Order: sequence, then C-alpha cells, then structure tokens
Amino acid sequence: MNKALNLQFSTSPHLHSQANVSTAMRDVIIALIPVSLVATYFFKLNVPFLIFVCIASAMLTEVIFRKIMRKPLSLHDGSAVLTGLLVALCFSAATPWWLAMVATFIGVGLAKELLGGLGWNRFNPALFGRVSVILLAPWITFLNNEFFHWRVSFPGIDTVTQATPLALLQMGLPLPNMGTFFFGYPGGGIAETSSFALLLGGAYLLYKKHISWHIPVSMLATVFVGVAVLGQNPFFHLISGGLLLGAFFMATDWVTSPITKKGQIVFGVCIGILVVIFRIILAPTEGVAFAILIMNAFVPAIDNATRRLKFGETRTPVPAQQGVPVQKTS
Amino acid sequence: MVKTFERGVFLPHYKKFSEDKPITRLPLPRELVIPLRQHTGAPCRPLVAAGDKVEAGQKIGASDAFVSAAVHTGLSGVVREVAKRPNIAGEMVDCVIIDVDQGQEFPTWPAEDYAGLPVDEIKARIREAGIVGMGGAAFPTHVKLSPPREIDLVVINGCECEPFLTCDHRLMLERADDLIEGSRLISKVLGGPKVIFGVETNKPDAIAVLEQKLVKEKDMELVQLDVKYPQGAEKQLIYAVSGRKVPPGKLPFDVGVVVQNVATAIAVLEAVRNRKPLVDRVLTLTGPGTPNPGNYQFFIGTTISHVIESTGGLQDDVVKVVVGGPMTGWAQLDLQAPLTKGAGGILALTGEVTQVTDYMACVRCGKCVDHCPMFLYPNYIGVYGELGRYQQAEQWGAMDCFECGVCVYVCPSRRPIVSFVRRTKKAAAERHRAATRQAL
Repeated sequence: MNKALNLQFSTSPHLHSQANVSTAMRDVIIALIPVSLVATYFFKLNVPFLIFVCIASAMLTEVIFRKIMRKPLSLHDGSAVLTGLLVALCFSAATPWWLAMVATFIGVGLAKELLGGLGWNRFNPALFGRVSVILLAPWITFLNNEFFHWRVSFPGIDTVTQATPLALLQMGLPLPNMGTFFFGYPGGGIAETSSFALLLGGAYLLYKKHISWHIPVSMLATVFVGVAVLGQNPFFHLISGGLLLGAFFMATDWVTSPITKKGQIVFGVCIGILVVIFRIILAPTEGVAFAILIMNAFVPAIDNATRRLKFGETRTPVPAQQGVPVQKTS
Repeated sequence: MVKTFERGVFLPHYKKFSEDKPITRLPLPRELVIPLRQHTGAPCRPLVAAGDKVEAGQKIGASDAFVSAAVHTGLSGVVREVAKRPNIAGEMVDCVIIDVDQGQEFPTWPAEDYAGLPVDEIKARIREAGIVGMGGAAFPTHVKLSPPREIDLVVINGCECEPFLTCDHRLMLERADDLIEGSRLISKVLGGPKVIFGVETNKPDAIAVLEQKLVKEKDMELVQLDVKYPQGAEKQLIYAVSGRKVPPGKLPFDVGVVVQNVATAIAVLEAVRNRKPLVDRVLTLTGPGTPNPGNYQFFIGTTISHVIESTGGLQDDVVKVVVGGPMTGWAQLDLQAPLTKGAGGILALTGEVTQVTDYMACVRCGKCVDHCPMFLYPNYIGVYGELGRYQQAEQWGAMDCFECGVCVYVCPSRRPIVSFVRRTKKAAAERHRAATRQAL
C-alpha cells in the first residue's frame, strides 16, 4: 500500500443508529414550546423572563458543580436547558425570580449533579427543585422579604391572581366551561394554561419515539377511573393541574422511570393512585409532583419486581444439567 | 409467510455494493499465514517445520482433541517459519508461514463416487477436512454433527443478517445444487431429519432459485425470514423457523436442532465428494471505501492486505477496516492479519457509515432492553460492567449475551455495552479458574 493508513479502532458494532441524547433533549424542548407560547399569550413577558432565569441558572449550576467536581462540562447534552425549562413551567408566572432560581439550583445541583450527573439521578431534577422550595417555605419567606424590592414583573401579571381550576373545584365555586379549560385558561402554573398544547407536545414525543404510551396512559387512566369512582368529574381532573405535564414530560423522564414496559405501567398506575389520594383527600397543591417523586424512589424496586425472563428461560428453572458433552474449551 | 423472532432491530442493508457481483478468485498471494487455531477448541500442533516443502491440500496442523479442527494449506510452497502472528482479534497465535510457489495452477479435487458411503466415513472425511462453522463462530463441524441426542431438524442458515455481507447470498444463487446436496449429507449424518433453509427476504433471487429446486425434495423446505438483525443468530433462527426456544446455557441440540451455515454445507459436500480440505472460502470485500467491491474466493491464510491490494487498494476516505460483519466484526489497525475459515467479509468503511465517538452515562432510556433479542438487561450489564462489579453484571444476564451489538446500535449514549460484556465474561472465566485452582 502506498499511502499511510490512519485507521480507527473500536470494538463492535461498527454501525450506530441516529439515536442521541442531545437530540432527544432537543425534541422534548421543542415539545414544550406550544404550552410556553400559550402561557406567554396570557402572562406576557413574565413567562419568557422566568424561563430565561431558570435555564440560565440551570446551566450555571451545572457548570459550577462540574468545575468543583473536576468533571468535563456536559452542557452539550441539553439536559440543563431542559431541566431549567421544566422548572419554569412548574411555577406560576408571578413567581419571584429568586425563588425559581433556588428551585433550579436545588434541582440541577443537588438532585442531579451531586448524585453523579445525568443518568445517575434518582429523582426528577425539575420536580425535586420545585417541591424543595415548597418544603423550604419558611426560609423562602425570608428571601421574599429580603429581595422584595428586586422583584421583576411585566404587564400581564394581574391575570395570574385568578384562582386555579382545582382550587375553584375545592371551594365549590362555578367552573368555566371545559373547552376554555382545554384550549387555554390563565389559572395556575405556566404549564397549566393549555392542555391542548401539552397534548400536542406529548403527541410529538410519542411520534418521535422518545417516550412510549405506557406511563402517560396508565397514569391518566388511573386518575380518570379513580376520581370518577370518588364522584368527581374525571374529564376536569385530566385537564387541570400539572397532570398532563407530569404524565407526558415528568413521569416519562428516562432516567427516573422503570426500564421495562411492564414496570412503566406499574409505575404509571401507582402515580395515578397517589395523585387521586393527594387531590381528593389532601390539599390540591402539587399533588402530581409529589406523586411522581415518591414513585421515583421506588423505581429500582419496580425494576426488580417486574424483572423479565431471559429468552428461553422458564419461570420454574429445571436444575441445571451439566451433562452437555460439548464444552467450548477456549 | 415471512417469519421472524421477537425484538431485534431493523438495520440499513448496505448490500447494494456487492450483491450482484459473481464470485471470482483472487490472484495467487506471495505468502500464506495459516493460524493453527482458527476455530473454537484446542489449537493444532504444527505438522511441518521451517524449510519443508508443502503440497496443495497438505495437512499442516492437527490435534488429538475432539473439539478441534485440522488446518491445511491450499497452495504449494515452502514453509518459511512457524511463528506467532497477530490474528484479526489482535491475539498472538501460532501460524505456519508459507512462501507460495508462484506460477502454480489453482488446485482441483476430482469428484469421487460417494453415494454408498457409511455415516462414519462421511463424518471422518468432514473431520479430516478441518471443516468449521463458516458463519463466524468457527465451531468444528464434526462435533456439531455428533450430537448426544436425537436431532429432528436441520436448519441451514442463509440469513446473512449482517449488513454489507453478500457471500452467502452469492453461494445460494450460484451453487444451489451443491448447497442442497451438502445439506442432504448433513441430514444423512444426523439420521435423516427434515431440513429447513432459512433465508431473509432481501435475497429474492436466491429464494426463487432454491424454492424451484426444492419443489422435488421431500423433507426439505425454505422458510422466508424478515430482514431483521440478528435473524441469523442460532437461537433466534431456530425460534423463527420452528418456534423452539433454546434455554439459557443450552445448545441447539438440546431442542433437537442442528444449525449449519450455507458455506459450511457446501464445504461438507466438497469434503465428502471431492475429499477437499477446507482451504478456501468466499468473502465479501465491500463498503464505500473500496473501488472494487465483490465476492472473492481466497485461500485460508491470505492476508487482508493481499485482498485489498489485488482489488485496487483503499480509497482515501476510509476510516475503518473491519473483518467480519459491521455488527460483530473486528476493526483492524494494520492489515497484516491472516484471513481464517470464519472470515466472511472485509469492510472498508468511511466516516459516513461509522464514527468512533465518546460515550456518556446510561440515561435509562430502555431502548437496549426493548431491542435485546435475548431479553437481557444490557443497561444494567453495561453500568455494572463499567464499574467492575462483574457479579452484578452477570446477574442481569451478561453470560447469556452473544454480543450481537443491537444494544450498542440503539443506545443514545453510545455506550460500548459489548465491551463491558466481554470484560464481565473475562472476569467470570478468571474467577472460575481461580476457584478450580483452589479446589485442586
């Protein structure tokens, strides 16, 4: 051979699908654009501002933690941007920026990076951050007092003061009609503004095969049946609160959900049951977030309990026969 | 009806480069580097020494072990030395290196009458010819044909499920009569069970030829199989054509089946009818980086570089040369390794087809679990294998993995799970050896 060869080496296989973590993260972000736009329509610049704050703090947190832990930067995988966006969508548009920032910091820094980074986190980072600031409420009050004058708000914030649909239901107040709720209603969190937009995003993720139907369907069906049995309007429950955001974007998080389809159905049903309990029996605040986080903790147990058999394996294994005369000797 | 197995993955075919190219012979090489172990089993001891003259077809290595296969030279020449050389997997193996007599004719082996041969004589000729499974695993064929229990089904593997490779396709097309006759011999040795040819539907011309010839055969049929990887893996193939599942840790004959590759069946016929040892085979030289893709017959011991040089070299944009298929083959750093009885392909791949990339942590997307044809948990095997927690990797099924590469193909984090499986198996073997030593 006349020319110098410069051949690459790697172990098999030498072909690779186009599947890629960054692409998946990008597609989830795309799927969240519709609901972000609807929310922006209602709450004006407050929404993009909060989203910007959360994404920026998520990226900054990841960089800081990775620098401290002397790990290579991983912003290119897109998970920081997505977590930031998801945290923002969990909040109401009137949320002060420092609160959103603290939530993002806890979500990305503690729930993800301290546990080893993307892939090693046990809990959904966005929900962990969101719920942490609820649990840290007394401390947050202090922050609110200290930073009150730094509050940033744009026109359009008045709309936010409307009662959330679930609160209306709890208080027995008259509800707006279902169609309004479904397509766009400015009550509650940013992601609660339009079920239609969330379903659009969910459909996109299903189409792109980043998620499968197992978790959303089992979760939504359980809630539907559960609240119907308990005498409430199941359609109303499906489209209110964080249920659709949770079902399509939070519970389906690859890292924090079971690995097999069977396990995913168990997971979805359990979340659904918890949501019903939280919504009907307890106070109607962030029930979905708590339900998903609680079940996140059970994922290893679900994986073990729903363990599938190997190809050709039978449930009652016959004692292994060592009588196979042809043993590979090398 | 098109049959298949559960799970697996649809791959791009990449067969266009070479599927229409008839089998042709490569020119004489200057040297043959013939490894004394090309098979699963005990290595051969050399029967020749430096300076010896060897004739075409002469046996140059043999072993008394049952699970082993003799090696022969296909060309006459002079033994230069018996020395260690790296094989395609980078292991140093003993090789007989022969300076080939230039100007010799290609050897031929005249056909004999073999109709009345007893089964023992047929088997003896197969063993004498050093035949091994030519689909890649290189398991000695005479061992497979001596099963400890009754066999009621022979499956001839014409799937060729690896992308790029077309040599089995061409053999089915060009040598259908020999293939059927070889398959009949295999069945005869095993007491006359039914024979099923399993062929993927992306070889319609081969299917047509075989089906037409099989019309007059009793106890032989062709089953069309979906073009899905790894359709040609033994357990998946058996399941697809017969519905039988080989349990973990068991072999095909535990469910009464013997699988043979099409090239092996033809080699069996030649060993019995012509007393021809396994000294040559067909491989597919292909890929976007070779100017003359095709299906080439070469003598065992030919080096990769001879194949490439005598077909016009490599194009400048080649980034990887692989021996075998793209899913299970071995990447080569230099091209001096000899081609053995199991070598079905040389791939010259460009950056468009193959990329070496860094990998990330497992994100638990579950794609590997969804696609694993053995129903294992490649995600956990990979995570624990990487951490060196090999016993946990074993608990999630590492020892049942046959390294088809589907998990790595679908992984969005591009994790080299097959490497982690190999590490786990190696550690298990070492642990087993240590335990055996202690017991002694």
